[in-house]
Amino acid sequence: MLAARGETLQDTAGFCHGPPNLEFSVNSGTAADFTRPAGWTDGVNSARESLSVYNSGMHIVLLRVALALYSIGLLHSVLTVLSKKYTFFRSSLVAVVAGFACHAMAIVIRAGELNYMPLTQRYDAFSFFAAVAMLGYLIAYVRYRIVSLSVFVFPVVFLLTFIANVAYDPSASTIPAAIQNNWIYIHTPLIFLGYAALSITFAGSIMYLIQEHGLKSKNRTGIYDRLPALEVCDDLSYRSLAIGFPLITLGIISGALWAQLEWGQFWGTDLKIVLSLFTWLIYLALIYYRLITGWRGKRAAYLAIAGFISVLISFLGAGYFGGLHSFTG
Amino acid sequence: MQLTLVGLSHKTAPVEIRERLAFGDGDLDQALKSLTSRNGVSGGMILSTCNRVEVLAEAPDEESIREFLCSYHRVPTENVTNYMYAFRNNDVIRHVFRVAASLDSMVVGEPQILGQIKEAYRLAQDAGTTGMHIGPVMNRAFVVAKKIRTETAIARSAVSVSYAAVELARKIFGSLEGKNVMVIGASKMGRLAAKHLKRNGVSSVLITNRTFERAVEMARVFEGAAIPFEQLGDHIDRADIVISSTGAPNLVITKPQVERIIRRRRNRPVFFIDIAVPRDIDPAVNDIDNVFLYDIDDLQQVVDENLKDRMTAAARAEEIVDNEVEAFCSRMQSREVAPTIVAMQAALEKLRRDEIERYRNDLGPLSDGQQEAFHRMTQSMIRKILHSPISKLKELARHPDGQEQVELIRKIFNVQGK
Repeated sequence: MLAARGETLQDTAGFCHGPPNLEFSVNSGTAADFTRPAGWTDGVNSARESLSVYNSGMHIVLLRVALALYSIGLLHSVLTVLSKKYTFFRSSLVAVVAGFACHAMAIVIRAGELNYMPLTQRYDAFSFFAAVAMLGYLIAYVRYRIVSLSVFVFPVVFLLTFIANVAYDPSASTIPAAIQNNWIYIHTPLIFLGYAALSITFAGSIMYLIQEHGLKSKNRTGIYDRLPALEVCDDLSYRSLAIGFPLITLGIISGALWAQLEWGQFWGTDLKIVLSLFTWLIYLALIYYRLITGWRGKRAAYLAIAGFISVLISFLGAGYFGGLHSFTG
Repeated sequence: MQLTLVGLSHKTAPVEIRERLAFGDGDLDQALKSLTSRNGVSGGMILSTCNRVEVLAEAPDEESIREFLCSYHRVPTENVTNYMYAFRNNDVIRHVFRVAASLDSMVVGEPQILGQIKEAYRLAQDAGTTGMHIGPVMNRAFVVAKKIRTETAIARSAVSVSYAAVELARKIFGSLEGKNVMVIGASKMGRLAAKHLKRNGVSSVLITNRTFERAVEMARVFEGAAIPFEQLGDHIDRADIVISSTGAPNLVITKPQVERIIRRRRNRPVFFIDIAVPRDIDPAVNDIDNVFLYDIDDLQQVVDENLKDRMTAAARAEEIVDNEVEAFCSRMQSREVAPTIVAMQAALEKLRRDEIERYRNDLGPLSDGQQEAFHRMTQSMIRKILHSPISKLKELARHPDGQEQVELIRKIFNVQGK
């Protein structure tokens, strides 16, 4: 593994509250060095160096294969809904499952080469988001067998994977010192799995609204008869919310703990953290109204959509907000 | 192939004629035997439903079949001939495929006809009258019918008002299992909708009517519970689906009432079906979240649209039938010329051996190599002689009017077809 010194991130200063007075330098980038729980067990801040990493390029090849397979899957899922022929859907499913396998492999290889959570660059984050969204779809499909859900999820997955491909920058290969910490293995997977579940909530809500509009207006055009029953859409949204909300809650708590142990305070000041809290409050309200006042259907769907837009803003905007959650490449 | 079909259906004959020519289930065995005992008829099958009577037979002409139908029912031929249709060979196959796929039904796409044909075929099998060709035709017809059912939307949506109600309930609730229905009023339409819902899995039916006795009587039929009309308000919360069809001149269910209901149900959806004229339920109810109201016109509109869809699907189904008929006929026919080809080859081969035998002694002593060459030469001559007739035969087999020319080739080579 290659190691290069000297590339500290400007961000670091913004996040290390209090001067990084304890010099704790990693001498030559072995895996154990930067994944060691330095700093958070004893609550002592430490300044680490950014690490550059090995990059075989294999992961990007796999990701491009996955992208190609996703595009086949997307095409066939649209054809399924347009033609109502389920033979198309079989091909679609085969393509996305194969694509997901390549995608997962790409992420594992990337993680192995980085020897770190593959989430620090824009490329990695988008790829990871796409993979968990696809995972969410596959789980929902196994449980509900809703074919039309694919029409709402596959474009999102395709787009995220596509952005990952475009954003890939082989020269950007350092991991900022500020986030070299084992907490990342708890904090980010929780948040991303939460996102995956909430993207299903979002898709379920959109399907609900389309279906509800069709039934109320008695105007049965478009994809009305290719969508699942209203109660199924509502159930799908609710259940995925019931999975997604605890995940992002734990994700936020773990982030707060990380910040507390590392920097002595729960909240950072970057915009993403603020937005995440806002997002969390929307979903909290949704859970509250669903449980306490028995909201369901249309109003719940609107709120779920608002919540997911907030998720997207905080995710997509992360790169531009600056701060700890911005990407390194 | 000598297939003939003679029949009459709702499209060609009024019920007074159809009923006179219909066969009872018990008579079919006897009728089939009587049919196949006729001169020139080597196989037969009879389909008799309330909408059609058809006789499919392996017979050279339709006249004998028409005669059979009339004499069996003791009806003068001239009285009914005008109501009948007759098909021969390829047209028989097309007709059978269309009927099995429910393209010729009164309600296109209705599913019963296929079962009725299967039953008629089974009866013919039991009677041992299916002959040579009826089996393959019917088996293919069943495959084609299934293919059309799965590949087109011909039978996908509801085409009656009461079934449209079920379809909509499914769109709202998904599974109807565990759902409760309340029927207000005891009209025929209300009963029908309740019956369909019950058959599709709703778990309980509550019935209320101004005349309590009628509610009780209906409750017995649906294994439901009767509720006095005055207590309607106490029980309506429980209902996921409400069918109203009273003869009341004014509204039975108002918007404030439904708002209360939906609050008490904690927003669980309710599907109101108002099939009364004048209407029983305030149309403004549809504006409330999680409440869906369909009146008789809305349901009729659903039915009309579904019928339109069905017509589109039927056009697509006709294309499938066309392709299938063509494929099936050419398969049948090339199967028919196969024995002719084999017979021609065998006849010439025999000729070759006989002639070699005859002239063997005149040839004098031959080495093994020479003998071998001699055989090869004669075999090659036969192959070359037969090449053109065989390829012509195969070509003619696919042609609808090729039958006569096939016959001519058989005569020239002096071989039998079978």
